[in-house]
Amino acid sequence: MRLSNMTRWLLALAALVPLGALAGTYDLVIDRQPITIDGKAKTAMTINGGIPGPTLRFKEGEEVTLNVTNRLDVDTSIHWHGLLLPYTQDGVPGISFPGIKPGETFTYRFPIKQTGTYWYHSHSGFQEQEGVYGPIVIEPANREPFKFDREYVVMLSDWSAETGERIFSNLKGQSDYYNYNQQTVGSFIKDAKDKGFSATLKDRLAWGGMRMMPTDITDVSGYSFLVNGKSTDDNWTGLFRPGERVRLRFVNGSAMSYFDIRIPGLKMTVVQADGNNVQPVSVDEFRIAVAETYDVIVQPKEDRAYSILAESIDRSGFARGTLAPREGLAGEIPELRERPLLTMSDMSMASMGGMDHGSMGHGDMAGMDHSRMQGMDHSNMAGMDHSQMAGMDHSNMAGMDHSQMSAAVPNNDYAPGSGLVPSAANGGRFLVYGDLKAMTPYADYREPDREIELRLTGNMERYFWSINGLKYSEAEPIRLTQGERVRIKFINDTMMSHPMHLHGMWMQLDKGNGQFNPLKHVVNVAPNTTLTVDVPVDALGEWAFHCHLMYHMASGMFRKVIVEPPAVQSAAR
Amino acid sequence: MTFIKHSVLALCLSTGSTLVFANETHNSGQGGAEPNIGQAGIAAKAARTVEVTLKDNYFDTEAVTVKAGETIHFVLKNEGALLHEFNIGTSHMHEGHQTEMLKMMQHGMMTMTGMNQDMAGMDHGSMPDMDGMAHNDPNSVLINPGETKELTWTFSGDAELEFACNMPGHYQAGMVGEFKHDA
Repeated sequence: MRLSNMTRWLLALAALVPLGALAGTYDLVIDRQPITIDGKAKTAMTINGGIPGPTLRFKEGEEVTLNVTNRLDVDTSIHWHGLLLPYTQDGVPGISFPGIKPGETFTYRFPIKQTGTYWYHSHSGFQEQEGVYGPIVIEPANREPFKFDREYVVMLSDWSAETGERIFSNLKGQSDYYNYNQQTVGSFIKDAKDKGFSATLKDRLAWGGMRMMPTDITDVSGYSFLVNGKSTDDNWTGLFRPGERVRLRFVNGSAMSYFDIRIPGLKMTVVQADGNNVQPVSVDEFRIAVAETYDVIVQPKEDRAYSILAESIDRSGFARGTLAPREGLAGEIPELRERPLLTMSDMSMASMGGMDHGSMGHGDMAGMDHSRMQGMDHSNMAGMDHSQMAGMDHSNMAGMDHSQMSAAVPNNDYAPGSGLVPSAANGGRFLVYGDLKAMTPYADYREPDREIELRLTGNMERYFWSINGLKYSEAEPIRLTQGERVRIKFINDTMMSHPMHLHGMWMQLDKGNGQFNPLKHVVNVAPNTTLTVDVPVDALGEWAFHCHLMYHMASGMFRKVIVEPPAVQSAAR
Repeated sequence: MTFIKHSVLALCLSTGSTLVFANETHNSGQGGAEPNIGQAGIAAKAARTVEVTLKDNYFDTEAVTVKAGETIHFVLKNEGALLHEFNIGTSHMHEGHQTEMLKMMQHGMMTMTGMNQDMAGMDHGSMPDMDGMAHNDPNSVLINPGETKELTWTFSGDAELEFACNMPGHYQAGMVGEFKHDA
């Protein structure tokens, strides 16, 4: 068995040799320089003098050599996000290599074995927040399973005048430092008038017991959101001729920000997610988690400007770019939509600890939007006091407008009744994870050999984030065996979304599409939900596995994964 | 299953009469404004045969040149793993047909990989708004993965036509080609 695998591998390698002629060398220099964006000046960290760094264009089958020079006064690193490569080239200090010392150049070498849109960024300190990130585009050896006339990278990021270290220490000191929208004494009095004093008090105590606030959609605010390094005012523009198909390669290179993306007037046909081809699906809007990528095709037919709008999910701002038939045009920028509030559904029972739910009275459930209740799993609610629900009026559910069901797949990406469920600004179709179906069925699709349960845990007020209650520094590595198929079950016990990123291997996102489950390098796990992925364990070595929210990762929501050869083989040695 | 039936019914009721489904030859699209696209032809009388290979998700042919009055016998080979369509029509007609195809998917009459034979035989004509959903228009044919099908068409020369696959998302991703006029 082992031998035949090895033979196959050698044959595959031999087959690659004729292509081996393709080789490229790329030089990246990381330095510090003063940058002002949106009136916010700081000494940023740049790659080759810019933010973002240059777009690296590789070709499938190419042998790449990347010389990364450190001109900072601190260690640095570059991680090739989503690329399949030998683990020593993965660029995570302390796991794949020691990092790059000031004044040194590290040379990465690896073959390009995949196609699509990816990105690269520092995996040291908070350098990603400071500007050390850039896009990667890999052209396939053969044609794409779709057609376009031109293409643009649209890299989104969040820019702060503060350093990453300052932001982190603010969060550590006072976790709601950036929650400008937290409920005040004034809103308490208003709520008390609307809901009654006792209900309001209990409501506030409930949220306090979880050390969360309903406005805790994101941890950090005060960001400017950028498209390819340009602020809304600087208006990054991509040109088109009316009628052309334009491929947009969206990359969310933010440290902390998720976006809802739309282009008013255009349907977007999603053709790739995290670099992998998916069966094309046309939507009006989609949400991009931190570190995900989505490729869409649009066909602007009119001779006018179209706004590319990436609205942060806490509705604090837009990253805005423009598609236009010529330079100097700008489309409209609409009002920001209302900031969502977390609901009780976004709390997991675990996160509530010893709270007495009987006392909650559910007074605020009356105001909940029950139109989304279809398919709700009430099984968790066993111990709850439903007596107050008697007066609820479900009668108008009969008249529900099913014509809005154009999204064939219901949105089960969020907890039923969650305040975070997105809807398209134009009332149309909003992409859900279940819509993502791999273009080609996975040949070795089967039941997993075993399951690993990972509880995403944390404490917002003390600002530490962990897995199974343990920080990285306290935890043992996760040990996997090459060749096995492992199901990872993420259970999010926190009230925040966590974009979980596995280095070096794909996660097959399980939304019930079987062989067509898409391959991803980042999956978003929404508050109080469970998400499963299957990992075909096919890359020996030591890999990082973490929440891609920078300050969650820094505070400990991180694991080392060690992939070992099967035991039989090591016994034979 | 009950849920599916339920939602099919609900969908039929709620869409009411606002959606216009194309009739046999799609000539009476919205407002009856569609041009004369030609008609089904007889294979034996075709001037020539054009082979088109369908893949995931594109045609191997970008364009086919036709003359007014010419009859072409198309041999359509699906070499992909997904269900595809070869449909002759204007871009506006394709747009309308995409709505129908999406509904057929939602009703379970077909999946991304093939027709559901159980449901394909159902008499959808008797259900409100389900006319035209049996996918039997002469200007189009569905081809299962690995299958080869044929279609013969006589071109009028009066319309700007495209050949397209209207499976959800496929047209938008670029599975469309152009009929060029040869004067």
